[in-house]
Amino acid sequence: MLLTQQSLGWRIKSALYLITGSIAAFLAMPIFFIVALSFGSSQWLVFPPPHWTTKWYERFFDNPQWIDAALTSLQVATVTSIVATLIALPASFALVRGKFRGRDYLYSLFTLPMIVPVVIIAVATYSMFLSLGLTGTLVAFIISHVIVAVPFAMISIINSLKLFDKSIENAAVICGASRLQAIFKVTFPSIKPGIFAGALFAFLVSWDEVVISVMMASPELQTLPVKMWSTLRQDLTPVIAVASTLLIFLSLFIMLAANILRKRSQ
Amino acid sequence: MSARIYSQKWKDTSLLLPILLFLGIFFLIPLISLLVQSVTEPTLGLVNFTELLATSTYVQVLANTFLVATLVTLFAVLLGFPLAWCITLFPSGWGRFLLNVVLLSMWTSLLARTYSWLVLLQSSGVLNKMLMAIGIIDQPLELVHNLTGVIIGMTYIMIPFVVLPLQASMSAIDPMVLQAASVCGASARTVFFRVFLPLCKPGIFSGALMVFVMSLGYYVTPALLGGVSNMMLPEFIVQQVQNFLNWGIASAAASILIAVTLVMFYIYLKVQTESPTSSHTGG
Repeated sequence: MLLTQQSLGWRIKSALYLITGSIAAFLAMPIFFIVALSFGSSQWLVFPPPHWTTKWYERFFDNPQWIDAALTSLQVATVTSIVATLIALPASFALVRGKFRGRDYLYSLFTLPMIVPVVIIAVATYSMFLSLGLTGTLVAFIISHVIVAVPFAMISIINSLKLFDKSIENAAVICGASRLQAIFKVTFPSIKPGIFAGALFAFLVSWDEVVISVMMASPELQTLPVKMWSTLRQDLTPVIAVASTLLIFLSLFIMLAANILRKRSQ
Repeated sequence: MSARIYSQKWKDTSLLLPILLFLGIFFLIPLISLLVQSVTEPTLGLVNFTELLATSTYVQVLANTFLVATLVTLFAVLLGFPLAWCITLFPSGWGRFLLNVVLLSMWTSLLARTYSWLVLLQSSGVLNKMLMAIGIIDQPLELVHNLTGVIIGMTYIMIPFVVLPLQASMSAIDPMVLQAASVCGASARTVFFRVFLPLCKPGIFSGALMVFVMSLGYYVTPALLGGVSNMMLPEFIVQQVQNFLNWGIASAAASILIAVTLVMFYIYLKVQTESPTSSHTGG
């Protein structure tokens, strides 16, 4: 009853199909339109477009500002992902295996950047980098992105470490390996999917980050979302649809990869 | 032996050093100094808070923030509930399809989705064209740069955050309980309102709380889809910092936002650990 398909009447069932179908359409519509409009010929984003064209893609790839922004994004996201993973990895070991008091509190503390509104992290770090004279630098971008990326990397690594059977590592130690050797030769290889998934999540957080980046950016140094943001405030040009499409497909690709890795680690 | 345990202990905590140093220096210190600024900038005292609560335009921002968060939570729960129900009801086929749509929407770049709504909702946009073609309206509706735009865009973004916890708590409900109610003579209506809905309550509550907290702190979507008169707290904070260099007011507003967020999150954690369904699924 209500939770099994057989017990529902056809009227409730078809109503449910209709309602959820419409909500699903509501969820999928913006994504579909943005990809379609990036190939439309209309400057004013009329749908359906009068013609199909790739001229906005040419516009995007011919403009050094967009390309620079995309490359900066890639650079910042790559370094952020590496740094966040390197910080999160030892912390995850300590939190999963440590026997000290206050572990739960530390876990909450480390996940705090996920809970505190991003705008507040943005303003706080902006204030710090302003007094250090570092706004508009790669360092400022990377440090502030690592703050929000670390919890994502950590949670993924912790999950895979919890699933790893520690007795396998102990077996290696009994067979004569040192603890460190065992960790590097036995534990790391088996939790590798979890570590990579964590790194990918961290990459994605940085790649998609808008609020902090807008605060950190200078006219000379901006990431792709910042360039989109500042262009958006002037007009809705289809070139933004191109940038959006590229963002969508890269995020999708990365999320699929991370999910495959996560499934493999379970 | 005790020395070995001691050294093991020390090693474990030393592994925390990188994260403690990093988050301590770059996250906690700036955060705390921002909070401190609210009572020290420009003079010591609660001036900023009294100004924030005494100026009508500022109070408007606060009220608007809570209004938007409340409406978005309401709509997200209303639209998320049937989705979560269907995903639980048809675990393969239709439900799986719905789940994938929800995840796809959640994974897609926030800025890209917001831009898309900006295009879809503009006066010459697809939605207005469609409504005019069907004949529902003669004049294009003002759907963007106002409260409507913010609510549509934010609800859209928040639906997945209701569906996922709600679906988890629904799938933890034993169908036999509902069966029992109907065997005992309860009508479908009664079973829904007296048995099913109360059992979903923890899931609805935690999803709603999550969405409410996230909505309070959202910047991108309200800033792009809202108008000047719909400013919310996050946009207000950024504006005070970037345009007016008014750090005192900005940090007072930030303190209020943080306080509300942390209190709500604390309640969220309490509800999560106490709810009977979360212990069934193991969290």
